[in-house]
Amino acid sequence: MSREKLEKLGLHLPLFPTTSVGSFPKPDYLLKARADFNKGKITREQLTELERKATAFWIEKQEKLGVDVLVDGEQYRGDMVAYFAERMPGFTEGGLVRSYGNRYYHKPIITGEVQWPGPVTVEWWKYAQSLTNKPVKGMLTGAYTIMDWSFNEFYPGRKATAMALAGVIRKEVEALIAAGCKIIQIDEPALSVRPEELAIATEAVEKTTHGLNAYFITHACYGAFEYIYPGMLNLAVDNFDLEMSNSDLALLELFRRHPFTKDISFGVVDVHSHVIEDVPAVRKRIEQALTILPKEGVWVDPDCGLKTRTIEEAIDKLRVCVEAARAFRN
Amino acid sequence: MSSKAVSKSGVILAHTGSYPRIGDALELQVLRRTIAASDRGERTAADLLDAENEMTRRAIADQVRTGVDLLTDGQIRWYDPISHLAGKLEGVKIKGLLRFFDTNTYFRQPVLTALPKRKTQLIVEDYAFARNALGHLPTPPEKAGKLAIKPVLTGPYTLAKFSLSENGSSSALETRAMAYAEALAAEITALAEAGADFIQVDEPAIIKYPNDWKTFEQALAPLLKARDRARAAGRRLELALYVYFHDCAPLYEKLVALPVDVVGIDFTYNPKLLDAVATAGSPKPLGLGLIDGRNTKLEDPATVARQIERVLPKIAGGRAYLGPSSGLEYLPRDRAYAKLELLNKIRAALNS
Repeated sequence: MSREKLEKLGLHLPLFPTTSVGSFPKPDYLLKARADFNKGKITREQLTELERKATAFWIEKQEKLGVDVLVDGEQYRGDMVAYFAERMPGFTEGGLVRSYGNRYYHKPIITGEVQWPGPVTVEWWKYAQSLTNKPVKGMLTGAYTIMDWSFNEFYPGRKATAMALAGVIRKEVEALIAAGCKIIQIDEPALSVRPEELAIATEAVEKTTHGLNAYFITHACYGAFEYIYPGMLNLAVDNFDLEMSNSDLALLELFRRHPFTKDISFGVVDVHSHVIEDVPAVRKRIEQALTILPKEGVWVDPDCGLKTRTIEEAIDKLRVCVEAARAFRN
Repeated sequence: MSSKAVSKSGVILAHTGSYPRIGDALELQVLRRTIAASDRGERTAADLLDAENEMTRRAIADQVRTGVDLLTDGQIRWYDPISHLAGKLEGVKIKGLLRFFDTNTYFRQPVLTALPKRKTQLIVEDYAFARNALGHLPTPPEKAGKLAIKPVLTGPYTLAKFSLSENGSSSALETRAMAYAEALAAEITALAEAGADFIQVDEPAIIKYPNDWKTFEQALAPLLKARDRARAAGRRLELALYVYFHDCAPLYEKLVALPVDVVGIDFTYNPKLLDAVATAGSPKPLGLGLIDGRNTKLEDPATVARQIERVLPKIAGGRAYLGPSSGLEYLPRDRAYAKLELLNKIRAALNS
């Protein structure tokens, strides 16, 4: 359990801390502004102003709902890998490729040595943190996932690529810590796609976080965890943020067979459904978690980022998380 | 290592399956825009079909221009490799998204409410359209009459492996796989009747889940019977089994021993696979997935040509199908085109 670590960092969180995974939906005015910016109709400064407005909106919403550990909502990001790749020397923007159905994105291409361009997320974190007294998470995409979701034309192999990226992400982690950030989430949704490469992902996370003084969370989702559990517990993080409700809590069976030894951010609402779960249903999910997991290590949040939901749905889903978690504190 | 001269004519340039349905240029975004407008209720089903046809013609034209011998329709109409087929079967409903192997793409998962049954054609109309489109394209004189469209089907085991069951009768993997197999066997019969003489069946899941071999092999049997019936009726038909997205080395010898006509393999997951194939040889023609369909980096034609020279003499009949390791929809369009261009350059570099 890492509550001692949190206390040492000066973070006095209640039992069942509530948080969210990272992204929130963008308001219509911001979607329009992003399109206008891409067409050259507005300046970067005008776009940034609206991104700050949307960030402030989400910080205020989270505070009002009573969320304990906040996120900035990623109002200034598009794709979670492309956002970093667009800013790092060594990457070239690739053409459009399909994600699924009718959704496409510009998949980055590594064409040279990847380098840290200086702080990428720090100013956004500082801005979000300035709006609240509650802790705001630093939000990064992990080296293994950036490697896996990019084309590589430069490094000799996947491990070399991941390790080079880990060195870059570590510098961003250091910059966040220097700015005062105490909880840093490093998203690794690609963690389970090649179980035989878990050692590479583990080494990359170790290189990213080793010896640094922060509480580290990693988020992974929609993967085949049965192939990497319990080995994934060797990742150098304090907390796994896992999508649990989408699989009807199937992962609990794995935890029953081999104890889960980290803190967990337990996903209790499905982010791909328009349906708002009711509080009793979510409380039941937490109760099921507590049959296996010690209460001191359980955080409560949605399965994944909420950016694909409407603003109203995202707020309602967060509200359910908060109300369900509070019931257990009493 | 010295290599014997190999016959260039033994190397057939074959596309493996999908092709990007979008490009950065505005005219290459017609399908995306039409689907989006259709979702808003601003376009009709006929508009959507037109857009699919347009991008299918472009995919075929790119293959002709780059010198491919055995073409596909680019699977432009496919939402994904699983639901496009399963969703047309009776007894199947399509539900949430799941990641497709280690790609950062997703498929919609079929859920069986009953044993799946084929009530209508799956890709026969797509095949007929592609063949017609190919016939209307200008073809280089030396290739006249030699180009063909290859229909591609996802195999029964892979469909079953990625399906869920809501129905007791289809809860066993073997039962699901056999039901899909019967549906696909009927489709193979229909494709053969429509003129297809080379059909590719993709079974990527078996090299990831080798413990299911028995189920996989049993589910292949109805497809082979359909092929044999077509042959008995006087049709020419070859059935090719393609595997990718994992290392096939542990199963290689079992794969090439199967009674299919061609086995297509992905060389990108194991650098030692080429040595294994060069050593073991193959009792049947191979699909050589030596061009990485998942990475933009372009291979050196001379290097790949030397690789082919090593394995081709060990392949029965000295015949091989050179192509990308997988479909090309994982690449941006310009890179997918460049990968196809490579195929001809590699063949030209043989024996040089």
